[in-house]
This record gives sequence, structure tokens and C-alpha cells, in this order.
Amino acid sequence: MTNGRGTTPGTGSATGAQPAAPPSPRPARARPADRRALGGAPRRLARPWVRLPGTGPRPADGGSTTAHDLTVRHRLLLALSALLALSLFVSYQGVHGDANPLRTSSAPAVLSLDTALYALGQAERDAGAPAPTSDFQKQISVAAQSLSAAAADDDVGGPAGRQALQTIAGLITVYAVKVQKSQLQPDGSLLREAYRSYATSILTEKGTGIQDRLKALQRQQRAAVHRQTSFGPLLWLAWSITLLLALALCAALLETQLFLRRRFRRRYNRRLLAALALSAAGVATAVVFTVWTQRGMADTRQLLDSPLPGRLIPVAGRDTASYLAHTGFRASAAVWILIGGVLLMALAETGLRRHIDDYRFRPR
Amino acid sequence: MNARPGGSATAAPGTRSRPSRRPVRIVTVVASCLALLAAAVMVGVRALGQEPTVTLLANWTGEDEDNFRKAVVEPFERKYRIHVDYQGSNAESQVLGADVEAGTPPDVVVLTGPGELAEYARQKHLLPLEDLVDQAHFGPSWAMPLADGHVYWFPLKADLKSIVWYPAGVGEQERQQAAHRPAAWCVGMGSGATSGWPGTDWIEDILLQRYGPGVYEQWARGALPWRSKQVRTAWTTWRDLVGAGGDPDLVRRALKTPYEAASRPVTASPRGCTLEHQASFIRGRQHAWKDADGRYDPSARLLLGAPANRAWEVSGDLVALLHATPAARKLIRYLASADAQRAWSAQQSGFSVHTGVPPAGGTDPDWRRSLALTLRDRRAVHCFDASDAMPPAVRDAFAEAAIEFLAHPGHLDDLLHSLDTLGRTPGLTWLPSVCDRAP
Repeated sequence: MTNGRGTTPGTGSATGAQPAAPPSPRPARARPADRRALGGAPRRLARPWVRLPGTGPRPADGGSTTAHDLTVRHRLLLALSALLALSLFVSYQGVHGDANPLRTSSAPAVLSLDTALYALGQAERDAGAPAPTSDFQKQISVAAQSLSAAAADDDVGGPAGRQALQTIAGLITVYAVKVQKSQLQPDGSLLREAYRSYATSILTEKGTGIQDRLKALQRQQRAAVHRQTSFGPLLWLAWSITLLLALALCAALLETQLFLRRRFRRRYNRRLLAALALSAAGVATAVVFTVWTQRGMADTRQLLDSPLPGRLIPVAGRDTASYLAHTGFRASAAVWILIGGVLLMALAETGLRRHIDDYRFRPR
Repeated sequence: MNARPGGSATAAPGTRSRPSRRPVRIVTVVASCLALLAAAVMVGVRALGQEPTVTLLANWTGEDEDNFRKAVVEPFERKYRIHVDYQGSNAESQVLGADVEAGTPPDVVVLTGPGELAEYARQKHLLPLEDLVDQAHFGPSWAMPLADGHVYWFPLKADLKSIVWYPAGVGEQERQQAAHRPAAWCVGMGSGATSGWPGTDWIEDILLQRYGPGVYEQWARGALPWRSKQVRTAWTTWRDLVGAGGDPDLVRRALKTPYEAASRPVTASPRGCTLEHQASFIRGRQHAWKDADGRYDPSARLLLGAPANRAWEVSGDLVALLHATPAARKLIRYLASADAQRAWSAQQSGFSVHTGVPPAGGTDPDWRRSLALTLRDRRAVHCFDASDAMPPAVRDAFAEAAIEFLAHPGHLDDLLHSLDTLGRTPGLTWLPSVCDRAP
């Protein structure tokens, strides 16, 4: 039989009928009988990957299949480790990648816009005072500062959002000027009424007034919060694939462990066991972190969706901060998935390498 | 069969595995290349997926904004794959001022005031348009070169202002009688941040019709004092027509009613008011005039009893460029094209003065055809809205003065004195001319 590639040491002869002696720097490690093709589960497990790149054809019946089986398992473990690391990284990022923008941008922006709306409502109430009041000025300042805070976030609707915020800021200035003009007119005068009506229209005009513009921006921000906090079908799919891959990898590691026990004298392969522990612990940790973060994001969305009375806005800000606490740390853990993946592959590689190397040498 | 001559028994350790590694390497290299290619494709797709954007600030809101988006913006976005961020506000001047001061102005702006644009041009915030717009399409009075020889704006739409609207079926004699009854005038001074401008239109038109374009232009250029006899007479004529300082209910209604809603009483029963001195855009914007099948008279006939107008006050929404990004330049070229002007004009939110656009369509009603022809009439004198042509500070003070005068006409001397003082402030930018033919 051929074999420029993947020929097992014991099947090098043309007939392949007689298993050759194991290659041997350490011949005691495996016996010829061990290297014959096994029936049953391991064989069936290996069969689908018989055509893995570089594995070569399976030896004819009666030939030793150990090297071939080792190669199949070796490549299978490496492929599963790589796929699991990649899939886990994508799934993890799918949830945690949105946590930072939510914590630093979208959620504070919704609250800032809520604050501005509340402050302007209070200002409109104070605008009816017979003389200019410091309360009115204070509310206008609060509204302006809230808009500045919202504008400071990079993510408030992009350039259109920033332009909208600038427009609103300009309108707030005009509104304040009209209110002040009305308050400078004698109480009950026509001009006082007129300026007051202009100010009110700037604030409340349907569609183009300050309040409607703020509400439109807030709707956009709430939509962004929904996008960031939703655990949609794609994420479900990604996590399902990740968990299936994790199960497959664990099963493959266990099967390889059993295979090695049957074929070789070593009872345990420490590196493969370490890989098993690492993959199980890594996936479990990622799942726990994701559940915590997703729960915090869902709580934040629920809080931001409900109408907030003005005096509760600061409380909501504190609650949001507590819901999203540590999400930054958990998001930054994504890089450890990739490092863990490399480690996993290294453990699988080194765990099987010396057995494979044993079969790379033939007796002279 | 063995891969190497010499048989398996003689093969050196390790040499047999070399051929078996080649496919692995090939697969690895191919996979890496595919991964790199996929990453490059993803980055490329994302980069291509980000449409260029142009920001546009104008004063159209509500129905006008919807019409503008549908007729002009959306076709542009489809054709050029450029997203237009539109912001509409009646506090446009204040918003633009704040944006410019903050260093984040929009790319393109549509303003009604050439005076304000001239101020921005002087401060080097505007960019010349000669290489983007053919001035011959608009005429020198609409795309006017400034002192530095550059053209900084062109009109996207134009309107006629020296007209008075009335419901169909109201006869000539009835209109003449109504003109002398303040309660018959539909007046609304409210316009949010720019409240008061409808009053300035009255005063400008009275001055233009009574004293002609020569005096009007002098005044609009800052050369005729506010306390001059002519200007003072224009104010007092307006006072008499609308009953400034008279019936408090009437004054309250005029002061507090938004200008878009001023004509609503026209359709009430009994009719709340009959005449409205307002620009041509109000016919398409206000449902009351649609319901009443509004018609118009040249304003001189009803304001002064004169047989015909001496000149026509006009206004325009003028496009200017603040950031010459490729997307913004495309938008400017597009807005100056006959296609865009025709599409906007067809929405009946205004008229185009582009020479490549027919003045009126075949299905246009008579009043619209007549307005369009008057705007394009080369024999008629057209003068730009004087307050829009004045420096922004003077324009705003004029609007405020109109509001105060309506409630307290006795304050006229003080108001005119203040305006004169303000007008003499050094550093203001006055336009060299506001009428299209030298008076």
C-alpha cells in the first residue's frame, strides 16, 4: 500500500499482512497486538475523520491502525480546540462586546435625555413666575449640561444625533431668551402673553419643538439599548454551536484518553486531562460571566424602558451603574479565550505528539 | 507499495513523515490565506457599507420638510448613494450660529437671509460656488457676487411676498372695504424663535409700494435712517391697517397666533378674517387657503389703494456651502440642477427661478401660473426681502420691534431710535444691492 503520507510504521510492507514491530525508541510502550485495527466504538468514531487532510487512507484489515488512529485523533483534537476557541470567542464577544457601549454611552445618554426633558418641564413651570427666578435658570443649566453629557458620548446617533443635539441646544437658548423677555414685561400685559406663547411653542411644538426632538432622540437611544441588550437568534445559534463544540471536544478528549489506555501502558495522559479540565472550566466560566452580564444588561433595559419620574433619575443612574458593574472586566476577559484556545491546542499537541513520534521511526 | 525506493525497512527515521506533512502545510497555508481574504473582504464590505454622509441644515419643518425629503433628498440619496442628515428648525440662525462657533457647522445650509450669508462669507465660513453652479441659470440678482467677486449662494426656491390672499368669491369692492377694517386682516406674528417676521414683511412691502425700489434699496442697504419720514410712515400705515394698539383681543390674536394658523378663521362661519398679507408659500402650506380656494391681489391695491405694484418683494431659500467634502459638492451640484429645482417646485412649496425649469406646469392653477410668471418677469422689478438682506442683528431687532409696536405703537420713536443705533454699529455687513434692476 502506498503511502507517501500517513503510512503507519507497521504497515509499510506491500502486503500489510503482518504487523511490523513498533518503531521503537521505546518498543515496550506498545505491542503489535495493540496496534491492530480495533472494532467497535473507537473505530467508528475515527471513521468520519479518516479523510481528514493528511491522515491518508486507513490501513487494510489486519494492519496496525494505531498510528493512523493517533493521527486522526490528533487532528480532530486540534481542529475541535481551534473551532471551540473561535466559536466561544465570537459568542462571548456577541454579548460582552455591547456591554461597554451600553455602560459608557447608550444608558447614560438615555438618562441624560430624561434629565433634560425633566429639567425643561420644570423650567416651563417656573417660566410662569411673575419675575425672573433662579430656579428657571438652574433648570435651563441642568438641561444644557445634560445635553452636553449626551453629546459627549460618541455613540448618540452618530453625526445626525450630534447635529440634532446641537439643534436642541440652540433651541433651548432661544427658549430661555423668550421666557426672560416675557418675564421682563409687566404682569398681565399682551407682550408678556405673546413672548410666553412663543417660548412655549419653541418647547412644545409638535414634531419640531424641543420636547419632541428630545423624545425622538431618546427613542433612537432606547432602540440602541434594545439592540445592545437583546439575546437574539444569532446569539442563541452561536452559543448552541459553542456548547456542542465543547461537548464534542470533551467527548473526543475522553475517547482519546480511553484509546491511549487501551493501546499503551500509560493509564492517564496528563496533558489531555489538563486540556479536558481547561476546556470545561473555560467554557463554564465564560457561560457564568455571560449570564451575569446578560442579566445586568436585561435589568438595565427594563429600567430604561419604564418612564422615570424626575426625582428618580439619579437613582436610576446608580442602579444602572450597579447592574453593569464589572461588565468591563468580564468583557476584557475575551482575550483569555483566545489564549486558552492556544493553550488547549498546545496541550492536545504535546499530549499526543510523543505517541505519534513513536510511530514515525521504523527499525533499520 | 512504498513511497520511497529501497523499501520500508531501509527508510530513515523521520523521512517518511515528510511527504505526509505537505498536504497539512498546504491546507494550513490555504486556510490562512482564506482567513486573511475573508478578513479583508469583511473590512472592505464594512468600509463600502458606510455611506458617505452630508449634513444639511434648513428651516423647513413639518409638511415642507416631508415634501423636501421626498422630492429632493431621497432621489439624491438613491442616485449618489450618499446619506443626507437633514435638520430642520425655525431657529435655524441660532442653531447655525452655535454650530459655527462650536466649530461643527453643517456641510450645507439653506438660509432665507442673504444678509446672514454675507456675514458668514465675510468671516470666511462660506466657500465660493463658481465651479459648482452656473450663475447664468439664476441671474445676478439671485446668485449675487459679493465685493470679493465670488458667488456664495444660489436659490433653491423663491416666493413672492407683495401679495394679499383672499377667499375665492370675495368681490373687488368687498376686498377694498375689508382692507380698511383691522379685524378683516388675518395676522399671525408667531413663528417660534423667529416670531415677528410677518410684521417686518408688512412694513417692507408698504415702504416698497409707497416709495418705490430706490428708497427701499437705500433703506435695506443701511443708507436710509429708520427715523426717516418714509420708514416712519410705513410703520404708521401698518398700524392703521391692522389696528396696532387698538382692540386688545385683536392685538392678542395677532401677537399669539402662529403665522401658519393665521388664516384659519377664513373658513370659519361667520368668517373670522378675509385678507392675509403673506408670501406665496402660505397657499400650499395652509389648508385654510386650499379650502377657501385662495386667490391673490397685488398688495399695493389693498394696502395703499394704488392701481398696481411698483415692484415685487421676493424671498428665497438660499443654498450655501460650508464644507467642501466630495459628498457636499455633489449635493450642491444636484440642488442647483434643473431636475432638483423642478422636483421641489412641483411640490408647490415654492417656485424655482432656474432658467431651465418652466415657470409653471400644464396642470398648475391660474394663481400659481400667474405667481410663477411674475417671479420670472424680466420687466418687473424684484427686491429681496429687506430684513432678510440686513445684517442678522438688525433683522432680529426689527422683528422684535414689530412685535412690540403691534402692542405699543406709542413706542415707535424709541424703537426706531434703537434700530438706528444698532444699524450704525461698526462691522455690520450690508449687501450692495437688493433689487434686480437698478432703480
